[in-house]
Amino acid sequence: MANDAIIKETIAQSLKNAGYSRRDFLQLCTTIMATAPMGLAFTEKATPAEVAKAVGKAKKPSVVWLHFQDCTGCSETLLRTSKPDVADLILNVISLDYHETLMAACGQQAEDALKSAVSQNTGKFVLVVEGAIPVKEQGIYMKLGGRPALEVLKDVGSKAAAIIAIGSCASWGGVPSADPNPTGATGVDSIITDVDSIRTGVDSIITEKPIVNIPGCPPNPYTLLGVVLEFAVMGKLPALDALKRPKFAYDRLIHDHCPRRAHFDAGRFAGQFGDANHREGYCLFKLGCKGPVTHAGCPTRHFNEVVDAWPIAIGAPCFGCTEQSVGFRMPAFERVADVHLATPPDTYAPIFSTVGKIGATAAGLVGIAAGAMGGAAWATSQKLVSSDDAVAVERRKPTIAGGK
Amino acid sequence: MTRWERSVPVYGIPVVNRGFWGLLIVVAIGMVLTVFREVVGLGITSGMSDPYAWGLWKTFNVMVLTGLGSGAFAVGIAAWVFNRTKLHSVMRVALLTSFLAYFSGLAMLGVDVGRPWNFYWVMLPWQWNLHSPLLEIAFCMSMYATLPLFLENLPPVFEYVIYEFPKWGGIARFCEKVLTKVYPFLIGLAYLLPIMHQSSLGALMLLGGNRVNALWQTPFLPLIYVWASGFLGYNCVVLCLLLAKVAWGRDVDPEVLAEMNRITCWVAFTWTAFRFADILVRGKILLALRPSAYSLLFWTETILIAGSAYLLYSEKGKKLQVMFLAHAACALGGMIYRFSPTTLAFRPRPGAFYFPSAIEVLICVGFIALMVLGYIIAVKKLAILPGTNADWLKMAKYEERIKPGIRLTGYAPVEH
Amino acid sequence: MAITRREVFKNIAKGSLPILAAGCVSGAFSEVAHDNEIVPMPKGAVGLLYDATKCVGCKSCMVACARANDLEPDTRTDGLHQSPPALNSVTKNIIKLYRTADGSDHSYFKQQCMHCADPTCVTACMFEAMRKDPETGIVWWLGSKCVGCRYCEIACPFHIPAFQWGRFNPKIVKCELCRDRLGKGLEPGCTTICPTQAVIYGPHAVLLAEAKRRIAQSPGRYAESRVYGETDGGGTQVLYLSRVPFRRLGLPDLGYDPVPERLKFQHRIYKWFALPTVLYAGMVFYASRNFKQHAHHLVEDQKTTGLRPQL
Repeated sequence: MANDAIIKETIAQSLKNAGYSRRDFLQLCTTIMATAPMGLAFTEKATPAEVAKAVGKAKKPSVVWLHFQDCTGCSETLLRTSKPDVADLILNVISLDYHETLMAACGQQAEDALKSAVSQNTGKFVLVVEGAIPVKEQGIYMKLGGRPALEVLKDVGSKAAAIIAIGSCASWGGVPSADPNPTGATGVDSIITDVDSIRTGVDSIITEKPIVNIPGCPPNPYTLLGVVLEFAVMGKLPALDALKRPKFAYDRLIHDHCPRRAHFDAGRFAGQFGDANHREGYCLFKLGCKGPVTHAGCPTRHFNEVVDAWPIAIGAPCFGCTEQSVGFRMPAFERVADVHLATPPDTYAPIFSTVGKIGATAAGLVGIAAGAMGGAAWATSQKLVSSDDAVAVERRKPTIAGGK
Repeated sequence: MTRWERSVPVYGIPVVNRGFWGLLIVVAIGMVLTVFREVVGLGITSGMSDPYAWGLWKTFNVMVLTGLGSGAFAVGIAAWVFNRTKLHSVMRVALLTSFLAYFSGLAMLGVDVGRPWNFYWVMLPWQWNLHSPLLEIAFCMSMYATLPLFLENLPPVFEYVIYEFPKWGGIARFCEKVLTKVYPFLIGLAYLLPIMHQSSLGALMLLGGNRVNALWQTPFLPLIYVWASGFLGYNCVVLCLLLAKVAWGRDVDPEVLAEMNRITCWVAFTWTAFRFADILVRGKILLALRPSAYSLLFWTETILIAGSAYLLYSEKGKKLQVMFLAHAACALGGMIYRFSPTTLAFRPRPGAFYFPSAIEVLICVGFIALMVLGYIIAVKKLAILPGTNADWLKMAKYEERIKPGIRLTGYAPVEH
Repeated sequence: MAITRREVFKNIAKGSLPILAAGCVSGAFSEVAHDNEIVPMPKGAVGLLYDATKCVGCKSCMVACARANDLEPDTRTDGLHQSPPALNSVTKNIIKLYRTADGSDHSYFKQQCMHCADPTCVTACMFEAMRKDPETGIVWWLGSKCVGCRYCEIACPFHIPAFQWGRFNPKIVKCELCRDRLGKGLEPGCTTICPTQAVIYGPHAVLLAEAKRRIAQSPGRYAESRVYGETDGGGTQVLYLSRVPFRRLGLPDLGYDPVPERLKFQHRIYKWFALPTVLYAGMVFYASRNFKQHAHHLVEDQKTTGLRPQL
């Protein structure tokens, strides 16, 4: 696993050595492009061949993967892709120098592996953090080799080029941070969503490292790959939103891309699990679906590359795993109150709709009628000019007999 | 220039001529399209929509044209109540134009309403909603058109019967006698009812609130409406008389015309003054001064009416050409005024717009043509247009030549 | 000369006319007491409370309304989606979207009949086809009286009634609070289905109290810190709470007075039909006098010309 060679080989070389065909590599590039149609600099306006060339030239980025309060689900999602080749592929595209689950070493050997991985790639490696970091009581609730997680993170993180917090746990605390949060589990970069929440987290410790949050439980592995490759190929991280999530994966709500959105818009809801509407595949909003307030790409990128392998498609309401204020905070079947749509669709009636128009024939007819009237009036008035007008008569008045 | 002494029919010109056929075609198109409208509904055949639920028919054919058709009321009240005896000679013209305008208008109303089969409720007073101004218009206009207006228009018909169908002469004479007995009571009604429904026409748009532009919306809307019908009636009658001169060579009586001009002038000036006073008191004068489509409309109306009134007041107003144009302009201004609160100055909500559809225009024009056709036929068959006794004798000679046996002169005085 | 009976009556009439007139006019203007009172709600007044801050714009109320009222879905906009642009002959209830031009703010708005305390449409309708139920206060339409004149559409300040323009037998269509369902003990369709309880049904007094409670509980959440419909236009049985100013949602500024108040002068003038009668009497009096004069002239003319007099 850990490559002792100081000079890292390029990704193209590494894949070639591992026996992958160019076709496999191109397929991987295409998949990454599909993952992030916009938002990754190295895939923008490029063909798969161009992407392959750019990626192939890059040096295999060194990745150190730390686990803290985690379930290893994020690693699993990386590995449990339906095509085992892809997992392998990923592992040959990046140089995974330290990964507790995947490496052969354990015990003191593992500690040494971490030390050497960090020292050999100081300032150049990408630190991927999986799992939350407990901060209560000086972080004694999670220890790695006798050292609190907080300390390990500080130590390793300060030497990394960039930190990727993978999974909701690392992003904002995830499952361990659920009420009452006895360990004080927090994310790598504490995300502030409410003015009331306390800012604890790595951000207060490590302030100058670029941090990317990839929340989700688990997140899509291609999001991670996209971020890592962007770093390796372009030397910078992709565009991030206010919560430091890559925009290409987290700019849309589930609600915006949900295949059941038409049912929501038309008012067709499942009332109870298993009822007729639920079987029809209607919207799960009334069952507590958090889709309207959750940013994630699940509707378009399904799990394990199996089509329709994601909660809503199988009839389970989304519980908002990516959002700190929703996942593991809101009860699973509680309905969302504030549905803030990024762009309400145009199928809503406006407050004042436009109605009425001028028909060409009608306008013509009115014009003709008005013209005819005006013309007739003018013609008549012309004919009324005569010598015996009222003034002349007034002069003649005395000759007309008086009377009625 | 002559002095009008009695009404004389237009003789020597056939009823059926090019003009007749032209009008008949327009009427026929209108009627066919009316049947079409009854079958397919109002949506396709008109430009009306929910925001502009009243289109051309109610607002123009009914509200505006009955304003023009206020001749019977305006001229009549001056002639009979205020004893301006000169106006008696033109009463029949006024009555006829009013009758035709009202009947055409009421027929148009019948076409415009969506469920005309329920109109019978108007005959059952205990089912009326007395709060509704539209109800007042409905029963008052119907009553007016079928009672006073209709009965007042019968004398020329009776005469026609007496002259042309001597067999029925006895009945006609009897009816004439009865009518003469009840005449004052009838004409009292003939002036009360128009005051009521012309003012109610104004009251209709009171419910429009501030959706009617502030230059028109006023608590005095009913008063201003009935006042406008005062001068509109005169405009219509004078225009008819001057058109008769041009079309059929009928001479005009300058004194009667001068009297009518005087009255028109007085009514129009006071109307304009009141309107301005109303706008000033309500504090909306700035709206009139700020350039906008509405202020343009307001000034157009005002200038047309007040300008015409001034022309009629001045020396120039004695010239027939100027008189004609002045009355035409005044009528136009008055019509625009009565059309504004319901359509031109009515903005039910932003985004809504109304323009009549082609079919709507054709039906409207068809009913107007029907009115004109009725007028032309009546004027040629019955003694409506004013003339002199000499004209009558000439007409008598002509008629007696082509219709042997008819007796139009030499009637000994009859006891009344 | 002996005074004839006729002259006596004439003189009495002449003398009493001004007194009568004065009496009627003052009588007409004496009715001041009624005008500034708040229009009372019927005893069993029911209504809706719509809280725009809770509405998620799901439009299931539109679907439920169509189902409860047997209306076909309006797909005329694109032939596919049920998305009417406004209330119309098949849409009694609509969700509208208020959005600022830059998209920074938006609010939903549920529009349907307001069931006013003093409905303008009821005043306007000639034959009381639009009527207000004396118990529940629901404003409903009775087809057997309706002439299809559409004055109710012109009169309504909220522009609610819709007309079936395309039908040979057109009806006026508007929300009637699902009267038949209420009779069966059910709630209106829209309130039954609303997933967030943004619109609720109940007795008017209860809803008004609830609305005020919400305002008190969350100061600053609701625009103008008031319920729309409490006093607007004399009061309505459908109440609105909103985060954005009501004007933006299309709700008009009506003030305290009910719209029909604008006809009060008209009603006063016609009270007991007194003024018209006086006017009639006066005109008949003068007309008959002039008529006699005119008839006399006609007879004179006939003597000289030998032509039948024309009335």
